[in-house]
Amino acid sequence: MRSHYLTVAGYLLVLAAGVTLQTVAVKRPDKVPSLGRVLSHVMRTRTGRVGVCVAWAWVGLHFFAK
Amino acid sequence: VTDAAQGTPDDPVITQSAVGSERQAPLAQTALTGLRQPIVLVLLLIAFFTSISGRVLDGILMLTVALLLALDAGKTRLRSQAGLSATAAVASGRAQAGRSGQDSRGVRRLLIGLAWLAVGVLYAVLVGTFQRYSWPVTACVISLGCLMVAIGWQGPLRQRPALTGQPLRRAWLWGVVVCAGGLWELSSLLQQPHLTTDSYAHPTISALTDPLLASHPGRSLVLGIWLWLGWFLAGR
Repeated sequence: MRSHYLTVAGYLLVLAAGVTLQTVAVKRPDKVPSLGRVLSHVMRTRTGRVGVCVAWAWVGLHFFAK
Repeated sequence: VTDAAQGTPDDPVITQSAVGSERQAPLAQTALTGLRQPIVLVLLLIAFFTSISGRVLDGILMLTVALLLALDAGKTRLRSQAGLSATAAVASGRAQAGRSGQDSRGVRRLLIGLAWLAVGVLYAVLVGTFQRYSWPVTACVISLGCLMVAIGWQGPLRQRPALTGQPLRRAWLWGVVVCAGGLWELSSLLQQPHLTTDSYAHPTISALTDPLLASHPGRSLVLGIWLWLGWFLAGR
C-alpha cells in the first residue's frame, strides 16, 4: 500500500515540476522556455519532428492498440 | 494547408536537390551514419522495451520508423559531408511559405479550426465506443499515428522563431522533467512481477489509467486529449 502511494506521488511530483516550469516560462519567457517553444526547437529538423510525432503515436498505440 | 516551410538541412526541398549523391551512398554506410542520431537510438530503445512488454506490433512500428529515420538522417549527413549546397532551394521554400502564410488567416482559419474540432470530437466519441486493444480501435489509432508521422516527415506547418539565448540554455530543464518521468515509469515497469503483469505496489501510468479507460466516456476523454496534443504538435 505504501509503495503504491509512493509511486503515485512520484508521478505527481514530475507532473507538478512540469506545471511549475511551464508557469515560470509563461511569466518569464526571456529566462525559461515554455514546453511549446522547446518542442518547436526540437522539431526544427526532420529527425526531431518525426521523433516527436512517433512518440505521440506511440502514446496512442500504448493505451489503445493491440 | 502548409503555412510555412522551414529550410532545415533535412527538409524535402533539399532532398530533391541532391538525389544524385544519395544513389551513390552505400545503404549500410547510410544506415550506420543515421544510427548516430540520438532520436533513432531512443526509438530503437522504445521498440525493444515495447516488444519485450508484449506489444510486438507497437515495437515493429517503432522499429520501422527508427530505421527509416536512420536512413534519412544518414543520407542528410552524407550529403552535407559531400558539401552540397541547397541554399537556393531553401530560399525558394521560405518565399513560398511567406506567401501561403497570408492566405490562412481570419474567418477561413476559424472555420477550418472548427471543422477540425468537429472531426476530432467525432473521432474521439466513435473510436471510444470500441473496447481497448480491439482490432477496430487498433486500426483507427495506427491510421492516425501513420498520418501524423507522414505530416511530420513533410515539414513544419508553421514557421516559429528559433530558441536563442538564455531560454535555449535552460531548455535542459524540460529534459530533466521528461527524463525523470520516463525513469520513474521504467522503474515501476521493472518492479512488476512480470513485464506483462501489472503491480499494485508499483503501478505504471497505463495501470493507473486502466479504470478510466474501462468506460466509453473515459476512453473518449483520453482520445480527445491525445488528439488535442497531436494538434498542438502538428502546429509546431
